[in-house]
Amino acid sequence: MTPAPGAGDLVHLLTPQQVGKRSVIFVPVESFQRVHNLAKLCVSVILIMSTPAEDNVSSNSQLSSDLFGDLLDSIIVDVASEAHRIARLGLDRNLDEEEVELRLSAEARARASDPSHSGEANGKYVVDIFGQTHPPVANEILECMNCGRSIMAGRFAPHLEKCMGKGRKARLKATRSSNAAQNRYSRGSPLSTHSPYSNSTGPNRSNGSSGVAGDENSCGTLREL
Amino acid sequence: MKIVCIVERQRRASIKRPPTPDAEDETDREPTIQEIINIKLIESGEKERLKELLRERLIECGWRDEMKALCRAHARKKGRNNVTVDDLVHVITPKGRASVPDSVKAELLQRIRSFLSSTAL
Repeated sequence: MTPAPGAGDLVHLLTPQQVGKRSVIFVPVESFQRVHNLAKLCVSVILIMSTPAEDNVSSNSQLSSDLFGDLLDSIIVDVASEAHRIARLGLDRNLDEEEVELRLSAEARARASDPSHSGEANGKYVVDIFGQTHPPVANEILECMNCGRSIMAGRFAPHLEKCMGKGRKARLKATRSSNAAQNRYSRGSPLSTHSPYSNSTGPNRSNGSSGVAGDENSCGTLREL
Repeated sequence: MKIVCIVERQRRASIKRPPTPDAEDETDREPTIQEIINIKLIESGEKERLKELLRERLIECGWRDEMKALCRAHARKKGRNNVTVDDLVHVITPKGRASVPDSVKAELLQRIRSFLSSTAL
């Protein structure tokens, strides 16, 4: 039975009778590692003898290498488990395929932008991401809470502007009522220019108050809902 | 003269942990020198420091990126969902052990040896 390669120089330590049998050999401790391989084939027990000075250094270095190997193994396991996670979750592909995806999305955007340019002129053929088309002006019909008229949703904000205060006519309405209020509560004599308005403040104010009341009513109904 | 008696025992490095030993095994076996050292190393916190130092050095020198590239290549070859951690460990370990830079290895061995000599054996 020939000993394993790598232990060739120690073969001389074995006598031919010992090979293949249980036996005991004495070796210096620095050749322990190589003897280990030898031992797997030939002997099952080895006694190692050495001087104390050699002993500490060599066992120390052996221990150090073992400990280093231990540390390295645990770091290898960390790297392997992280790489495994990346592979399983498909995260490594993202780095390479990001460019491909960017190109594809740019192409898709280009394709999408062409019909949308014609769509804006057309008005009805713009398609959103859910595939729905919307008319340019919202066509749900609502009731104005100020004047009580039915208005299209798309025209609601401009209507409110006029109706509630921003428009010219609405502002005149408001200024008339506010001036009248000032005239009423100020001690100074009202100017003659304001007097024709004072007649009209009554009905205006009642309108305004009814409007306010209407607001409150609508608020109330909303709350009930 | 110091006599050390060694009995051949095979040790397989694997993620799968061995089953917890029975109580009988515990009392029969004497803690080996290696185990004593290991315990001392862990208890003093030195093992953690050494591990962090090694990790830092290996990242600096690009070893970690090499290993991750190896893993990635292996995963692509085998199919992304067919790799196991054990598999990757077996792929990396031989190349990993061989490709550690000598300076890093020397530094760590130096620190380990100084720790061993500082703790009274």
